[in-house]
Amino acid sequence: MTDQQIVGHDDWIAARGRFLAREKEFTRLREELSRERHELPWECVKKEYVFEGENGGETLAQLFGGRSQLIAYHFMYEPDWDIGCKSCSSWADNFNGIIPHLNERDMSLVATSRAPLEKLQAQAKRFGWTFKWVSCVGNDFNLDFNVWLAPRTLARGEAVYNHRSERVTGPSRPGISAFFKDDRQVFHTYSTHARGLFDLLPGGVGEWPVTAKTPSCCASR
Amino acid sequence: MTDHKTGTREEWLAARLELLEAEKELTRRSDELARRRQELPWVRIDKAYRFETDEGTEFLADLFRGRSQLLIYHFMFGPDYTAGCPSCSTIADGFEGFAVHLANHDVTLSAVSRAPLAKLQAYKRRMGWTFPWASSLGGDFNFDFNVSLTEEQQRKGAVEYNYRREAAWTVRGIGDSLTKRGEGPVAEIAAMTGTDVAAYTRQRPGMSAFVLENGVVYHVYSTYARGLDGLWGMYQWLDRAPKGRNETGVWWRRHDEYANQGTSAR
Repeated sequence: MTDQQIVGHDDWIAARGRFLAREKEFTRLREELSRERHELPWECVKKEYVFEGENGGETLAQLFGGRSQLIAYHFMYEPDWDIGCKSCSSWADNFNGIIPHLNERDMSLVATSRAPLEKLQAQAKRFGWTFKWVSCVGNDFNLDFNVWLAPRTLARGEAVYNHRSERVTGPSRPGISAFFKDDRQVFHTYSTHARGLFDLLPGGVGEWPVTAKTPSCCASR
Repeated sequence: MTDHKTGTREEWLAARLELLEAEKELTRRSDELARRRQELPWVRIDKAYRFETDEGTEFLADLFRGRSQLLIYHFMFGPDYTAGCPSCSTIADGFEGFAVHLANHDVTLSAVSRAPLAKLQAYKRRMGWTFPWASSLGGDFNFDFNVSLTEEQQRKGAVEYNYRREAAWTVRGIGDSLTKRGEGPVAEIAAMTGTDVAAYTRQRPGMSAFVLENGVVYHVYSTYARGLDGLWGMYQWLDRAPKGRNETGVWWRRHDEYANQGTSAR
């Protein structure tokens, strides 16, 4: 027998109504945060990054695919791994289907990983994914956007992550970075890491009956 | 040339760290809400709801598919719609991909609509979806969970939705759209389902959670309207894009109805 409190419909409605007020407060807070997010200043991206994609070498500006907004999903897949990170893979299962809608809003979404292109293509084929996935193995993209840490930094114990708020021990971390492009240049507008990513899962970790946890691969790679 | 404020990496980082504190606070709030959601009392379901599914006629307990938890997305697809609601379709594009992960964590995610099963099956094939989708046509399920209303309820303005009596909204909101006949965003979406505002809004969006213990089904949770915001994946991504939601009207379509279906992204 369950030890959860069981009530009649009217009592349930009363309890649900009280909780609804809290949920609405949360929705308003989230909107306020979105407004603040869009007030962040932008920084100019001066470095030229070249990625390996199915059309050969592509610059960061080319990854926009003719649109003015780009979100790069930093997919954890190191060159010596046999397959991409398990948690990142479940995130990809989630965003693969919604990309046509984002495209319609003048936004491209691409995944970038340090593994070579052939490995990325093999996994995409196996998982039935159609999003654009490029390799950044030869450039500083993941290093500069704080989702990959150079061995020397790691050895010195100076590696930090999530905007310098966390100390880390592994080389690779999950995150997303957002960019804007006008007719002259590319700007970095936003990045988020760690638990900041969970809000991108529909409902974050909160909406489903599960316990909030850092993905295992993030805790100990 | 952009007129957005630009700065150096150090200036950007200072502003970003300030926002990070606010984001972390929201994350903690979200955790707290999830805890409180699980503390809600449950209601025992005694009514024998019947559904038409790929497996034949089934009861609510069968929709769990051997798991102990069931999440139902109340997909707006009324018997008179010619195609599923385009907004619900963008939500389904998101959960189609992760239903398999929930299924391996003792949670079945299923859609339920009032349209007859054959319509649901055809639309599901068109959209390339694989999640289970049951028809509740002929039963009280959608009405009891406040996601369908009758023509009479609509006429009288006796609408209970999102835990509120919505008489005023029906009269001023939907009523206005009805008299304007074919104007405004609701009319636009209604046309995309082959219906008018009245028929379209007799279905409402929502999600409900159920648990099965010792053969008894309990109702755990339901959410409607903006309560679904967090489940609408594309908006969570757009909120992090430089231009945000950036919308003035209904811009979304079904994923096979866009002019350039993601081709230039590749």
